Amino acid sequence: MKTVKRTWVVNGESRTVDVPPARRLLDVLRVELKLTGTKEGCGEGECGACTILLNGQPVVSCLMAAGHVPDGSELMTVEGLEKTENGRLLQEAYVEKGAAQCGFCIPGMIMSSYALLTRNPHPDEAEIRTAHAGNLCRCTGYQKIVEAVELAATKWKRA
Amino acid sequence: MSGAGPKRLIYSVAVRILRTRVRYSMTTGVTHRKGIIGKGIARVDGLEKVRGITQYVDDLDMPGCWHAFVVRSPVAHGKLRGLQLDPAFDWSKVVVVTASDIPGPNLFVMHDRSMPVLAADTVRYIGEPMALVAAPTLAQAKEAAAHIKADIEELPPILTLEELVALFKDGKLVTGVEQQAPAGVGGFAGGTPASGDVLCSQSIIKGDVEKGLAEADLVVEGEYTAGYQEQLYIEPQGMIAIPQKDGGVFLRGSLQCPYYVVHELHEALGLPADKVRVRQEAVGGAFGGKEEFPSMVAGYCALPALKSGKPVKLIYDRHQDILFTTKRHPVWVRHKTGLKRDGTITAIKVDFLLNGGAYLTLSDVVMYRGILHAAMGYRCPNVDVNGLTGRTNVFPSGAFRGFGAPQATWGMESQIDRCAEALGVAPHEFRLKNCLQVGDTTPTGMVLIDSVGSPTVLTEALQRAKFDQKLKRCTHGKPGAKSWYGIGLSFFAHGSGFTGDGESKIGTKVLLELGWFENGRPGVTIRVSSTDMGQGAFTVLSQIVADGLCAAIEQVRYPLPDTSLAPNSGPTVASRTTMVVGATLFGAAQKLRAMLEEFAGKPITSARQFDSVADKYLQQHGPTRVENGFKLPDKIKWDQKTFRGDAYPAFAWGCNIAEVEIDPRTLALSVRKVTAVFDIGRLINPVLAKGQIEGGLTQALGYAVMEKMGIRNGRFDADRMQTYIIPTMLDVPEYDIHFVEFPYEFAAPGAKGVGEMPMDGLAPAIANAVFQATGVRMTDLPITPEKLLRALSAKDTK
Repeated sequence: MKTVKRTWVVNGESRTVDVPPARRLLDVLRVELKLTGTKEGCGEGECGACTILLNGQPVVSCLMAAGHVPDGSELMTVEGLEKTENGRLLQEAYVEKGAAQCGFCIPGMIMSSYALLTRNPHPDEAEIRTAHAGNLCRCTGYQKIVEAVELAATKWKRA
Repeated sequence: MSGAGPKRLIYSVAVRILRTRVRYSMTTGVTHRKGIIGKGIARVDGLEKVRGITQYVDDLDMPGCWHAFVVRSPVAHGKLRGLQLDPAFDWSKVVVVTASDIPGPNLFVMHDRSMPVLAADTVRYIGEPMALVAAPTLAQAKEAAAHIKADIEELPPILTLEELVALFKDGKLVTGVEQQAPAGVGGFAGGTPASGDVLCSQSIIKGDVEKGLAEADLVVEGEYTAGYQEQLYIEPQGMIAIPQKDGGVFLRGSLQCPYYVVHELHEALGLPADKVRVRQEAVGGAFGGKEEFPSMVAGYCALPALKSGKPVKLIYDRHQDILFTTKRHPVWVRHKTGLKRDGTITAIKVDFLLNGGAYLTLSDVVMYRGILHAAMGYRCPNVDVNGLTGRTNVFPSGAFRGFGAPQATWGMESQIDRCAEALGVAPHEFRLKNCLQVGDTTPTGMVLIDSVGSPTVLTEALQRAKFDQKLKRCTHGKPGAKSWYGIGLSFFAHGSGFTGDGESKIGTKVLLELGWFENGRPGVTIRVSSTDMGQGAFTVLSQIVADGLCAAIEQVRYPLPDTSLAPNSGPTVASRTTMVVGATLFGAAQKLRAMLEEFAGKPITSARQFDSVADKYLQQHGPTRVENGFKLPDKIKWDQKTFRGDAYPAFAWGCNIAEVEIDPRTLALSVRKVTAVFDIGRLINPVLAKGQIEGGLTQALGYAVMEKMGIRNGRFDADRMQTYIIPTMLDVPEYDIHFVEFPYEFAAPGAKGVGEMPMDGLAPAIANAVFQATGVRMTDLPITPEKLLRALSAKDTK
């Protein structure tokens, strides 16, 4: 099978993969790069469990072909969060507020939180809810996630 | 309260202990010192979850693992004449398992012995497994599966709840045949399927319902229905089967009940129970959907694993997971209530019919919980509840949070509202007059004495929501209004733990191991089969053990349950874990502490003392273990034949109040606010308990107004997340959640169940609010704008 070589900055490190161009970015992350934090909940862009940041923008990696992600792109997954100060305080806020229950949606959810706070460190509740509307959670009823983002916002360090 | 920070959740706890209960609290050993119980500590597995390092089954690195694919019946009912393997295909690289390859009897041991692992001569629903294929890659397995053709002679199916109801009303739904069905034969025992067949039936009789109806000044009738509900855990079903050198198999998967898998599967595998080892991996949500069903997933990968000698993995994709897993039973419930003009209830007569699908699985117990809640909550001397589960040619219905109680409460609380309306009294006044209180008897004749949160949950909720003031603002479908507003309520109880004396029969066992942790300090490891599927069992049970030991939470560990290491503490179901397993662990921890205190010759009153005493003990005696079992109070009496007696060790109590707004032009319905008050006994971890309530109410919101699933051409008509819509962050209302604590003193530290309860009452509260908003009573869930339009049109043409 024809493959393409791609070199990306993944969680701050340069990583090269050689994969079929139509292979889902989600599979490349989970299988080739062994970053299993990112989850597959539906495979059709509905649940948001596979949300990662591509050049700072949240995308659903199950709907992206690896070949469509150009060389030099910056990818950030849940595993990359703790490499940043803001990522760590966001994780702490999630734990403190009880925002993770089963935890399966969280790797995607928390990337949406990170993208929101990076763009807008002082969101109101409506902005928080809109920014996470593409991330389904079946356990929490979302309230504690909203509280966690609000808590993280109070400590967020501007770049 | 509602004025202050309307977008914030208001949380508070009011501790109220009934005067009659005080004497018991002195005799049960409840520790009243300032311990870790009652503290909202962070989830013990929280940090690894937000770091993305928690390993769910599909995250496990399994080099050389094969992949399984299930070959399923394309027809709903038929004679399976045979399976043809395409001779042109190269079968040398795959393993195929059919019914004839099954080493033991071809059945899953569920509540009966009728469900085959693989269809052998008859197919009874679309999607019924007929063969299994495993190959080094999933693509190879799928390709091979496409080369297997089934020769099926189609037979007429019976598919829907509507068909069952029509048969029931014509007196053609055959009852009693379930007893005649020969063991091990999953046939339509009652003859041809068109005649209808009942998988199970049971009634509850109290007093004389006909006499009660004759004495009534007015009789109110109502019928209520609800469709399927999909659990929609975000992590799909998944399992890995690893063949063992001793001929056994090691199963690792996403599941609620490790010992269920052993019990339900080992016979088919032709293995003794101890050769089937089951380990729970991190579970990405379950809600009942991973109670009995993982045994089937385990079968579908264990059989090809044993045949091929390779580890075999089976992960459902979302499409398969929605189409081919169990759902909440669709229900039809008919109420006939006798009332006196003064507002007393003289008779409650209920028919409760579930669509069980093609096999019993555990529908009998779902129906039992359903009928035990179908007439619950109110004082009435004459009750007759008739429960039936019909068999149809669709995917078997199964466990889902609430387990029959949400369906029962949907009918009962809609009917109670209708009764109030018929009498011309306010819905809350009618409930306050008739709700069960201490000293009253339930439909099964149980006298309520212990831990009764009624009427407190009701009065507290009414007050918090300012119900009587807001009731006056309801619009009743007023023409010309810009928006319709309504407020409605529901009041309900939920039995905690297994029915009747089931908790004694199951023989819950727990084990605590005292040893050294990797940090060189003493610590206690919890060995139970109770799983954490997100509800927080690892944290809550660790808190209970730490409290019982007088240790810190860091001195307690709770590894993933594994049947080779943990005794059977029962399944993680029925809102029983914190109450029953928690109490048993609390007893074990107290035993262990007493042993250490005897060794030290002084009481242990701090975590530091625990550390030093345990350290000295370990140096002298080495690691040790303490076992404990659960025992119900002797006074609990239950007759499983007549359904008379103490139906549950205790009930949790709840009241939900919903406020809705409806756009009169589009009929778009939005639930604005939900006030929910619960008595779940003693709170162990208020943050996690509130998380259970918020999540459960949101799932109930979906059931009430969004989640729509029926049967079309024998198949679920929603088959992916694009067509099965659950609430998003933008759909949830403002919640005001409040707990009142009535500890269950016979199971120290006194918790009752919480997990299922928030699923029970929101749908009827919303329907009752819709009635106040529009003047029409909605009797079919989910309540959609389309159904509202039909109901309003029907009202206009009257």
